[in-house]
Amino acid sequence: MKRYVASRLLYSLIILFLVSILIFALARLMPGDPIQAAAMINMDLADKEIIEDLRIQFGLDQPVYIQYVVWLKDFIRGEWGTSLGSGEQVYNMFMRRLPITLELFAGSVFWSFIIGFPLGVIAVLKRNSWIDALLTSTAIIGVSIPVFWEGIVLIYLFAVILHVLPPAGYVPFSEDPWGNLRCIVMPTFVMGTHGAGLLARYIRSSLLEVLSQDFIRTARAKGLRESAVLLTHAAKPAMIPVVTIIGLAWSYVVAGAFLVEYIFAIPGLGRMGVNAIFARDFPVIQATLVMVTANILLVNLLVDLIYGYLDPRVRIN
Amino acid sequence: MSDKTANYAKPRRTSQIGLWAVLRSVMAHKIGCAGLLIITLLLLMAIFAPLLAPYNPNDQDLYHVLEGPSKSHWLGTDDVGRDLLSRVIYGSRISLLVGVVSTTIAAIIGVFLGLLAGYKGGWIDMIIMRITDAFMCIPGLILLLVMAAALGPGMHNIIIAIAAIGWTAFARIVRGQVLLVRELPYVEAAHVAGASGFRIMFKHLLPNSLAPVIVAASITVGGAIMLESAAAFLGLGVQPPTPSWGKALRIGYSYLEIVPLFSLAPGLLITLAVMAFNFMGDGLRDALDPRLRGEGKKIK
Repeated sequence: MKRYVASRLLYSLIILFLVSILIFALARLMPGDPIQAAAMINMDLADKEIIEDLRIQFGLDQPVYIQYVVWLKDFIRGEWGTSLGSGEQVYNMFMRRLPITLELFAGSVFWSFIIGFPLGVIAVLKRNSWIDALLTSTAIIGVSIPVFWEGIVLIYLFAVILHVLPPAGYVPFSEDPWGNLRCIVMPTFVMGTHGAGLLARYIRSSLLEVLSQDFIRTARAKGLRESAVLLTHAAKPAMIPVVTIIGLAWSYVVAGAFLVEYIFAIPGLGRMGVNAIFARDFPVIQATLVMVTANILLVNLLVDLIYGYLDPRVRIN
Repeated sequence: MSDKTANYAKPRRTSQIGLWAVLRSVMAHKIGCAGLLIITLLLLMAIFAPLLAPYNPNDQDLYHVLEGPSKSHWLGTDDVGRDLLSRVIYGSRISLLVGVVSTTIAAIIGVFLGLLAGYKGGWIDMIIMRITDAFMCIPGLILLLVMAAALGPGMHNIIIAIAAIGWTAFARIVRGQVLLVRELPYVEAAHVAGASGFRIMFKHLLPNSLAPVIVAASITVGGAIMLESAAAFLGLGVQPPTPSWGKALRIGYSYLEIVPLFSLAPGLLITLAVMAFNFMGDGLRDALDPRLRGEGKKIK
């Protein structure tokens, strides 16, 4: 197990290193000099000499690989630079918005399980019937439906027509718990739909695989009812691959947050990221991308470790 | 000479199943058939858009802006008085074009790198696959937005950006397939017969990987359509006045209370298109991959 943990850890670090190069390169590829962009916002910076001074100050006159090393060093020390738009510390901006996006994640995982789990189990109980076909296509629809459209449909239904939920906006839980829940019901549902569809499909196929094994035949031979076979004997081993879904869901929620927070006007990391991309705010884009990827890698690492713990066969490879 | 050896140890090749047999299996698959039907309808809509659309999609009529559905405008009009139905019909062209072209580019890059990694092995494999992993762990949408912002707006750049994201899935799949068959006797025979690495990769290894590549391609087209509309929705898509579903959704969203169909109709078509390609991918997988065929059917 120790060897397995070490090799997974090393692998994650290598990928993170490669991603950091990729992100750094992408940010440099963006048209327009960041200093020029800053000068556009703060008009008093339009002077050529001041711009040249700033370039030196930001290290933009150095060769690219030195810029990369400097950036990486600073990043690891928690110095993520300042936003070109607002002048705020990127680290502080990020940490202030993180809890909001985490709340959305928790909510969307809740919806994914509440919807996806029963869908998958019922599909297996009624396998190869029209109910199975209906549930399987429902699951594919859940995976296919674009979050931005689903969000707009829900806003139209619940805010414009029924007037039961606010169309957009966000109130912190500490200020108004009920208002907070009303604000995040729709966004979390929208973000959870994809995960629900995936989960339903995973559970269906992994349960079906387990059901073809010998110990299930024994359980059936004992005269157990099908639902008892499913829930007491098949459910546990079938859950192992489902661990993977959490890793996938996390990656999807992070990306979905970019659209969902935009539509529902929620001041989380996604909205910060989208605004930074529009404003070509390099430090914010880089920090967001690195943290998002580091997060996804961390979750994937945990998933791999749990997997290796639950299923010893995995550790050998 | 290598042809003789190929006859000697001939593997069952997916490409020999034949297009018609595959099509028949997909048609027999309820969900796959539904997908194929929707895709055919969307394709017809895109091809015959000039015949189907009641108006020129770019004709503005400033006396009739933001109108609800009526006899003359079935879905209503947009913020500058253009016929929504016509714009939705023409919008299918951009979505399908971006979806298919970007997937084709992604598949070519991914298949080549996957073949190379799987066949060469060693440090080439190591480097290619770590780069693939690195690309894969950045969420596609976020990578697309950053790349679209870096490259600038416009259809070509969106296609390039989506292809630059989509190739990873193909590389992984093909490499996995190649590893499965690389040590089989027929490949060894080809080696002995003096076939070049290039020939082995494309003539002997590639056909064996085609089935999962076709399945992935179908799903990737759906994903590409979704990504294109998401980028357009955030304002990073094709340039105006080209009609695009994602862009209509973006503008229509602000008029949700006045003309709900302005955003709901194009959104429905995006959903249908993405869904159809996922449905077809599902059908194709069951048709092409015997291991997964009718998972449930063997356990009764």
